[in-house]
Amino acid sequence: MQYWKRGGKMLNDISLGKYYKADSILHRTDPRIKTLLYLVYLVVIFMIRSPFALFALGLVIVIQLLMSKVNARVVWKTISPVLPLALFIMILNLLTIRQGDVVFQWKIITVTDYGFTRASLMAVRLIFLIMSTSLLLTLTTTPLKIADALESLFSPLKVIKVPVHEMAMMMSIALRFIPTLIEETDKIMKAQVSRGADYDTGTFVNRVKGYITVLIPLFVSSFRRAEELAVAMDARCYRGGEGRTKLNPLKLKGTDVLVGLFMFVCAAGLVVMDLTLR
Amino acid sequence: MDKISVQDVTFTYGSEGADASAPNEPAVENLSLEIEKGSYTAILGSNGSGKSTLAKLIDVIEVPDSGRVVVFGKDSADDSLFWQIREKSACVFQNPDNQIVGTIVEEDVAFGPENLGVKLPELRERVDQAMKDVGIYDLRLREASGLSGGQKQKLAIAGALAMRPEVLILDEATAMLDPRSRDEFLKVAEDMRIKKGLTLITITHDMSEAMRCGKVIILSKGKKAAEGTPAKIFADIPLDRYGLRRPVIIRFAYELARLAGKTISEEDLTGEARLSERLYKILTSAELKADGEILSGKDTEKKQTKGRKIMAVKDLFSSYDGKTFAIKNINLDVYEGEILGIVGESGCGKTTLISHMNSIMKPSSGEVEIYPEEGITLRCSQKKDVQKIRQTVGLVFQYPEYQLFEETVYKDICYGLRKMKLSADEQKDRAIKAAKAVGLEKDILRRNPFELSGGQKRRAAIAGVLAMKPEILVLDEPASGLDPVGREEMFALIKSLRDSGTTIIIVSHNMDEAAAYCDRICCIKDGEVAVTKTPEELFADWDEVRKIGLDLPKITKFSSRLKEELKKVIPQADFGRPLFEPEAEARAVFNAVLEAGRKNAE
Repeated sequence: MQYWKRGGKMLNDISLGKYYKADSILHRTDPRIKTLLYLVYLVVIFMIRSPFALFALGLVIVIQLLMSKVNARVVWKTISPVLPLALFIMILNLLTIRQGDVVFQWKIITVTDYGFTRASLMAVRLIFLIMSTSLLLTLTTTPLKIADALESLFSPLKVIKVPVHEMAMMMSIALRFIPTLIEETDKIMKAQVSRGADYDTGTFVNRVKGYITVLIPLFVSSFRRAEELAVAMDARCYRGGEGRTKLNPLKLKGTDVLVGLFMFVCAAGLVVMDLTLR
Repeated sequence: MDKISVQDVTFTYGSEGADASAPNEPAVENLSLEIEKGSYTAILGSNGSGKSTLAKLIDVIEVPDSGRVVVFGKDSADDSLFWQIREKSACVFQNPDNQIVGTIVEEDVAFGPENLGVKLPELRERVDQAMKDVGIYDLRLREASGLSGGQKQKLAIAGALAMRPEVLILDEATAMLDPRSRDEFLKVAEDMRIKKGLTLITITHDMSEAMRCGKVIILSKGKKAAEGTPAKIFADIPLDRYGLRRPVIIRFAYELARLAGKTISEEDLTGEARLSERLYKILTSAELKADGEILSGKDTEKKQTKGRKIMAVKDLFSSYDGKTFAIKNINLDVYEGEILGIVGESGCGKTTLISHMNSIMKPSSGEVEIYPEEGITLRCSQKKDVQKIRQTVGLVFQYPEYQLFEETVYKDICYGLRKMKLSADEQKDRAIKAAKAVGLEKDILRRNPFELSGGQKRRAAIAGVLAMKPEILVLDEPASGLDPVGREEMFALIKSLRDSGTTIIIVSHNMDEAAAYCDRICCIKDGEVAVTKTPEELFADWDEVRKIGLDLPKITKFSSRLKEELKKVIPQADFGRPLFEPEAEARAVFNAVLEAGRKNAE
């Protein structure tokens, strides 16, 4: 009966991939810059091994947070669903890494100091990754803009017949429908709960089975929606990327370059710091 | 040149596909019709009559198998004109969620013109103009998924207008809106027709919407069944045959005329004032007083006596986000054997309230009690009672057919019973009885629910709740999306369930239906109970109803105006309380006039 505690709506806390409306430097930055920065930080976050550099990364993320004007609570909502996973990864690492000095031993469980550092690093990294991704990209950029950016960045691939526009369009529609499908899932679950379903108790197998009864109507309705959307897009003369114009075309401004440079320098600094401290 | 011309068109879905061995029935067959440029046309017909297909043919989303569709001189069969036609006709569809492509309002409005390759700055100008035209300019940077239903449909119109179309097709675009948003939406569309010379085509199940049009075309089984002005259609055409009904006002007028032995002509139907005048003349004519016969008995089937209190909602507060209350301070008693209506504007908290009745939501504070006056009271705050409450109070959500999931109807109906861990025999017995109660044939039980028609699916979904033998059945908009005859059948079903002992709670947008079928109506405004009264009492106080933000039933508005006029010449007439079924109200008015005439004669 966990859905009760969440105040009625069973799934409304998922803010992953949800745009946060605000007027900030990061919001205004060209999505291409943000996408590239996201890739840079993706690499940096996985490169960093020293705790100090990781701490510095945390500071950079705070800077990103301030630049984005996103409410800290929203960021918390974004990472909270990932916490169990982070914890799981941490425990897994704690138990499997045998290098270093043993600090704790009980039967087959061995925890080493090195293992502890590595495990915490892993968990913190994962959380930082989610935070950085959502601040740089999903929270501050509308899905349509992300799709625009990807389309623009990948447009050289059009030469070798990669359907770049189509892929970008699919992505933006998928993102656009996340809230709609969450709402729908919520409705289906409520209807089944009102008929006696209980998703949170029982054996694991039973619980999985319970979710299947949610997934079937969800799939059926997604197909119906997809069909209707296709008709609606047809009616609005959608015919692929050729000859399409843009209401808000991407234009690189001076500030975009500055933001890009600044964040890039931060990232580079982190790497240098990490390499020297390692 | 200046018309849309459909010439002998036949179209079958899937006819191009490989599945030619089992051809479908044609969705549209030998259909011919013409729609003048700049006109306002309603397309009526029962579910599955080919209305939406016609819209798709005019917008060249589908191309006819045979015959021609010519839009303002351009033949849709001509590949080189294809895009030109599609560019000039725009559609707004029923489900707002499934036609919004952009995340942000202005991005979505721009989608069409972007596809057309309109360049900046014209693109920006078009988008802004379209948003201003429909009154959503202030929302331009909002997230589209967060808009209300009415706003989303306006957004859809803006998206259509930004393409600068010549034809605007509304494909059941108002079906999911409450009366107020519906009216606003139509006014926007009608306004655009006048200002921009748009040709407006509306596909609808709402007969009073058809009254606003210049021409009505009725489709039946893919063929044109009738065509004419609304007055002609509603005067002469046997609508029942096509799954349609006359608008309530016209039903009322015809019944009155029939009782008086008079006729109503096509001209009388050209306007409400005109119709009212005609009825006034009929009722004040001398011969009526002489040989009219007073009808016996009041034919209201409504329950007058209250049963025991079966549910009590006490000081209920509920919140989704922990900050603002979706509903607050709700106090409501439900009596056994009644039909209780819950009405209010979209977003006022109706659905939240009924979710608490079935304990699928936990209140912030307050209590919902079942059997409050007996020793066996179930309370939603008691964890052990929750499952019992869910069985006692059945809940049918809006569009329940979208929630079917099993391979057979039978299995789907049994879902709740399996959760109750009943024996196989008991399950079978209950499922068959429930199916029978909703009017499903036994052989349908073996079928896949996804093969059924819309109305059957909904019945199957209701049967799934009924099988759990709830004492109280709560239905959220049970008739939405159904054609007029389907609606009537749904309410007949609800009445029969009540007669077999189930207490019914209905959430509804339609005031005429709520007034006609409910014993009491609870009005919700901004999350609070504004008033709970019988429909007779409620709709006697017009100011109060308007203050709550509700509409009066159309029949009441029309009939009271007539009664006022009559009062002026027949002051001794006692019309009593208003009734809400058009025929019953007609009889009541007729009786009152006759009785007054008698008294006068004596």
